[in-house]
This record gives sequence, C-alpha cells and structure tokens, in this order.
Amino acid sequence: MFLSRKPRLTVVADRADAELPLAEQALAYVDELYGLARHLCSSTSDAEDIVQETYARALGGVGRLAPRSNLRAWLFRILRNCFIDQARRKKIVLEVADDSVGERSANEVWDTAALDQLRYLAAADLERAIATLPIELRFIVLLDAQGFSEAEISDIARCAQGTVKSRLSRARARLRAALQGAK
Amino acid sequence: MTELDPSTDEAERLITAALADHVRIPAPRRLRDQLVRAHLTVHKPWRSVVVGFALGAAMAAAIALLVVRPPAADTVIFDEAVGDHLRIVSAQSPLEVASSDLHNVKPWFTGRLDFVPPVSFVGDDEFQLRGGSLAVFLGHKAAAFVYQRRLHTISVFAFADATLRSRQETTSRGFHVIAWASGGFGMAVVSDINWDDLRLLEARLRN
Repeated sequence: MFLSRKPRLTVVADRADAELPLAEQALAYVDELYGLARHLCSSTSDAEDIVQETYARALGGVGRLAPRSNLRAWLFRILRNCFIDQARRKKIVLEVADDSVGERSANEVWDTAALDQLRYLAAADLERAIATLPIELRFIVLLDAQGFSEAEISDIARCAQGTVKSRLSRARARLRAALQGAK
Repeated sequence: MTELDPSTDEAERLITAALADHVRIPAPRRLRDQLVRAHLTVHKPWRSVVVGFALGAAMAAAIALLVVRPPAADTVIFDEAVGDHLRIVSAQSPLEVASSDLHNVKPWFTGRLDFVPPVSFVGDDEFQLRGGSLAVFLGHKAAAFVYQRRLHTISVFAFADATLRSRQETTSRGFHVIAWASGGFGMAVVSDINWDDLRLLEARLRN
C-alpha cells in the first residue's frame, strides 16, 4: 500500500476536460494569464515571473480550491495577488483608480473617420491606451475582455459587483478618450 | 442615465472587440517548458515501481558499458553537476549556510574543505546570493554556492580537479551547464535559466 499516494485532483466540473489532472487543466490557461501579466507588468521577465509564481502558488496549494470551483477565475485571482506582491517587493506604488473621472458624456461624438480608425486600430495604439489606465481599471477591463462576467470579475478583483460595473464604465471612457486623443 | 450619441456606443463596441483580440498573448516557449517541467512531472507510485525496475536494468547496462569504456572526464563532471544541482533544488533545506553575504558564506567552508573555493562574486540585483552548502563532486568534497535569478536557482560548484582543461557548455536533462578551470580548480554552473543569463553569471564569477 502506498501511504504517500495523493488523491487524483479532478476538481473542475465546468470543463469538458474535467477528468484531466489539475496541473494539466491549469496550464491550458497559460496564454490568457500571460496576456494579462504582459499588460500589467512593465517587462516580459516580470510577466513571466508572476505567471510562474501564479502556478507555483496554485498548484502548491490546491487544497484551497473547493470542488466545482471556477479554476480559471481562481488562477486569475492568484495572478492578481502575485502582481500586487511583486509591486510591493519592487516598491512600485500602484496608482489608485480615480473615481472622480466622468464616465460617458452626452457631448461625446465619433465621426465616421474616427470610427474607421478604430476599425483598423493598430496594436501599438491600443497598448498605449491600455497603459494610460490605473492598474485596477486596467485589470478590470482586461478581465472583461477575457470574457469574464461582472460577477466573476468582482470575485477575482475582490470588490463589489457595483464597483466592477462603474470601474468598467470608467475604464472604457478613458480608453475612448485616450484613443480619440491619439488621432 | 445620460443619453449617448450612437457613435459612442459604436466606438465602445469597436474598442471592446479590439481588446478581446489583443488580450491573449501566447506565452513564450521557455515559460511553457518551465511550467511543464515544474508541474507536469507527476510521481505515480505504480509508475515508480516500473521505473525503478527500468532504472535498475538501465544502471546494470550502464555499469557494463562503463567497464568497457569509461566516460570522458568532462561528461562525468556535467552529470555530477546536474545531479548535485537537483539535490540542492529538491532538498527541503538545501543550504547549510543561508546568507546573501559572501563574507558569511565563504568563511563557512573553512575547516570543511581542504581548499578555498575561488568564488568572489558577492551577488547583485540580478543574481542574488542565497547561501552555500557542501557537495560531493567526483568523490571529493566541493563547495556549492547558490544564487537566484528571478525564480530560478543557480548552483555554482567549485571543486578540486585538474582534469578539466577547457571551458565547456552542455545541456543535460534540460539543465544548462558551463564548466571551466580556474586556478587549478574546476568550476561548474548549472541552472534551468537561459544560456544568456547563465553566461552572464559565468562572466561575473570569472571577474
């Protein structure tokens, strides 16, 4: 009898590959996690470090993932914590979301040429616009772009769903402003 | 709620679509490889029994081969370096002296080795010294210095060996190894970091 044998970890029920070992399921999200990390960190090596740390924490502490939990959301929550810890270690002060910035203005109008520019938006312009967002807004708008629901984002970002809604709205307004200003 | 111009909604829709296209970035190959190595090497007891038999057979074959043709000295050094590095990274308490100060680590070897390890790199922001430990290299006591670069562990071995004549690089079991001779001693650095970083550390150790 092998006393050291660990139970097979098949905790995720919301995916077709739920019978795969946890590590294999988790590694399927590496591009999404790395994509978010790249938009949060200033260098590729920092992004790689927090993705590595995310997996080390996640797969080293699987006991904290309850059965039928959302593995994907859980990994993103860990990545957020890793990013905040990395910023603390590097003594980087994270900019707080400015709640006073207006959301959508009735005066905002996009002419046809401006809309055409958005249709053929260059990746570099979009990246520059994303980089203008404070971290929390950037985080929330990127999670939204990854396809998470507001409820999931509120769980990942540890804030109320109403806060997610308003921050998402502000983030979009800032992106529009940045992209309109970039014309 | 404020009544918006329809063009604003259209702009928002276009930006959201662009973000969705842009948000996923393929992880670099080396990151994938590291994650797979770190997390997909599952130890299954039934497998270890089978692997144990297979290893036993392989070792018997290897011994038979060794009798016929001893391996080159450099190959032994690389195998030894990777084996010792694995022992360091897999041990619960890998460091017998844990300190980022070389002036604590180096004197610790006094009385434990019959030579002074030729290591004078104190570490820096890119390669932090974590400590040192005794190792057994080619049947003799050797010094192991452990540095860290980001999440990677790098072992530096200093050993008394005159057989190593030229600088050599190799990859063994996925680990990069650089070995060279320094003042009558052998030196070897081992890690899973990329070649550029490992060569950077080698340069700092040689300075």
